[in-house]
Amino acid sequence: MSRTARALRAAQDPLIALACFTGTLALLIHTSGDLGYARDEGFYFRAAADYQRWFELLFRDPSAAITKAAVDRHWRANHEHPALVKSLFALSYKFLHQDLGLVREGGLAYRLPGMAFSALGVSVTYLWGARAVSRLGGLVAALLLLMQPQVFYHSHLACFDMAVLTMWLVTTYAYARTLEGGGVGWVLLTGLLYGLELDTKHNAWLLPPALVVHWAVTRVPPLLRAELAGGRLRPPAALFAMALLGPPVFLALWPWLWFDTASRFLGYARFHLHHDYYNMEFLGTTYFRPPMPRAYAWVMTAATVPTIALLLAALGGLRSLRELPTRARLDAAGAERGALARAFSTRCLWLLCIGTSYAPWLRTSTPIFGGTKHWITAYSFLCLFAAVGFDWVARRLAEGLSPRLRRLRVAELCAAALVVAAPIATTLHSHPFGLSAYVPLFGGQPGGASLGLNRSFWGYTTGSLLPALNERAPSRAAVYLHDTAQDAWDRTSRDGRARKDLRGTLSIVDSRAALYHHEQHMQKVEYQLWMEYGTVAPEAVALFDGVPVAWLYVRPGQTRR
Amino acid sequence: MAARTLLWWLVPIAGLAELGGHFHVSRRAPGLADWQAARPAVEALRRPGEPLLVAPRWAEPVARHVLGDARFPLEEVARADESRFEAALEVSLLGESAPEIASWPVLEERRAGKLLLRRRKNPAPRPALQDLVGRVPDATVVDVVGGVERPCPWDAHARREAGGLHGDQAYPAARHACPGAGAWHFVGVTVIEDEQWRPRRCIWAHPAQGVLRIHFPDVPLGAALTGHAGLPQWYERERRGAPIQLRFSIDGAEVGSVTHKDGDGWAAFELPTPGRAGQRGALDVSISAPRAQQRQLCFEVATR
Repeated sequence: MSRTARALRAAQDPLIALACFTGTLALLIHTSGDLGYARDEGFYFRAAADYQRWFELLFRDPSAAITKAAVDRHWRANHEHPALVKSLFALSYKFLHQDLGLVREGGLAYRLPGMAFSALGVSVTYLWGARAVSRLGGLVAALLLLMQPQVFYHSHLACFDMAVLTMWLVTTYAYARTLEGGGVGWVLLTGLLYGLELDTKHNAWLLPPALVVHWAVTRVPPLLRAELAGGRLRPPAALFAMALLGPPVFLALWPWLWFDTASRFLGYARFHLHHDYYNMEFLGTTYFRPPMPRAYAWVMTAATVPTIALLLAALGGLRSLRELPTRARLDAAGAERGALARAFSTRCLWLLCIGTSYAPWLRTSTPIFGGTKHWITAYSFLCLFAAVGFDWVARRLAEGLSPRLRRLRVAELCAAALVVAAPIATTLHSHPFGLSAYVPLFGGQPGGASLGLNRSFWGYTTGSLLPALNERAPSRAAVYLHDTAQDAWDRTSRDGRARKDLRGTLSIVDSRAALYHHEQHMQKVEYQLWMEYGTVAPEAVALFDGVPVAWLYVRPGQTRR
Repeated sequence: MAARTLLWWLVPIAGLAELGGHFHVSRRAPGLADWQAARPAVEALRRPGEPLLVAPRWAEPVARHVLGDARFPLEEVARADESRFEAALEVSLLGESAPEIASWPVLEERRAGKLLLRRRKNPAPRPALQDLVGRVPDATVVDVVGGVERPCPWDAHARREAGGLHGDQAYPAARHACPGAGAWHFVGVTVIEDEQWRPRRCIWAHPAQGVLRIHFPDVPLGAALTGHAGLPQWYERERRGAPIQLRFSIDGAEVGSVTHKDGDGWAAFELPTPGRAGQRGALDVSISAPRAQQRQLCFEVATR
């Protein structure tokens, strides 16, 4: 084999990962235009605008920027969440939109870092799947991750949920590489990545316990004996790197914590440990305070993650159980002993990451208002297990074919196409109603509505009503924004998505047109609109597979024709 | 191919089945065009005074959008219950029935594309002699504090309010506004959400420190006073408020009282008025609570 051929062969996985990244990013950019700005995006746009002003001061006058007064002025906004991702929103907006003009729409510039995180998550899922399972398994895992309606929705946003999914994944991947003898580079990288993960979202604090448990669990007697014999029994160096590098990186990249560090950090911790409870419908009941339903996370996962992905993940779990490194198996493995132990370690790590991501929802006092995004960090690992399951199925299918067909990998390719077809179809079909989408097993969107599962939240479905609003709202009308945050509306307006003469308001009485984003508890707002507008007939309804998701009211007689 | 290998094909086939399921469920429910096409059939079957119920209820906004206010008068959409109606038109999709009227016999049935229209007859209708919600404008309201009556005059152009998600129900422009306590202290018609978040059109009567008394003159009487009382679910679910008492009297003689406690929901009541059928009289409703904080009581009452 020539040197070029060898280099190309070695680069195959990175090249495929790069293709995953660029393909995902291109798809997200392409589909961003009709996805309305979510409520929380509005808060982060505002925070990013403040942070941008600080970065501009930093570039202009560094010593002035690092004073307490400057930091307090610019970093107070949204200080309940760390700064990394919002800083990237700010820098993307400044450079890509304002300075270079490469991105025409400001909202897209804000969203680009979030999309890049999502694309990175997909490509690292591929890389790890290809490394730990098989190339085709990795591809299946990557596709199964992106092609989940709720993941696809969150992948577009200028928010932190997909960012933390990715940071959790890449940190864990780097950690796993250190366990495979990756060297000091991987160790240092793990520490650095963990700092970045801490600075992404508070889910990051759950990772170290998972890793410590992993270290303990993988010291099962047969492996422990081998380690003791080799004199290698010590905690992984990467854990120390995370402890030593993580906090400094976290602090360094979050200027808000540079002053009054202890009290501000405690404030941040308190905010999340004692978070407000918001309303969330589950099986026809709106929960607004504890006890929250214990089945919530599991049922919502089953209702929103494509069933074939869950089936493959379950098979992956089963296969992993069958390949546990018992003493007998290790003895029989011979040269494959190391591979068996590595597979066990990797799958154990994945399982612990899934378990840790879901663990807070074993308590009935944990809020559920954000739906599946709360435990979204589990999904990449779920898809990696799906890769294990897929690989198992594909191997068994190939065994039944003739050698020629086996060489052509007919069975594997057919199986791959069949298992990703439904996720691709349902996810692309769900856009831009990803939060309203339920899997066919639950009856799809009509089934979800009949079961009393949340229709959507965050008021982002304003995007689906914009054509009707722009066409029919009276001139210079004040538009009641309902669940859309004022900052999200302002961005909608500035980006030219909404007519310039329309003004957002949070007063029903002052409005002449009104958006209504359906959730069970929001119906009280609709009844107020009936009384105030004197009509129960919406001017337009945004339907997803026949299910109304958001609707528009216009005061009778004021519709622009 | 071995039987075991064939079994493994069940996994990709499950993926294929999910794809088929997706195409099936995503096309099941009627879209806007289906609703519009069904409009003539709905118009043909619907009779004035018979409410239109959509099953499942989540599809009702589409029906309201397509059929308009004329087919969905507020007093029918936000009805107190179904008992007073002789019949109702059920618009059914996905094979569902409206639970409130599912036991009513079907008078007529017609399929209109993906919609099934059923006109159902109420087997035991109890029409109202007088619905007092409609009599609010000609009622007289006083707030009695420490034995002193303070009138709450009718104002047809009061300042409207609608509190949004965290605020009160819509305060109508036309209402009996009581002085002193705040804009919420009035008697007027609004719509609240009940414990199932359904709309209920009712008389807002948030008591303050004293007794809120509503006087309906010249009411045609029957064998009973029937009605419902409740708080908006937003407040009711907190279960922190004091009980609210509603006392009913006719021509000064007490007929009975109802005590609403948080958690009762949109609760029905019936007070017999023996010997008054066919007569007319003045009905007084007195509302009070030992602690008036967040007592957004709303009620409806009718003579039957």
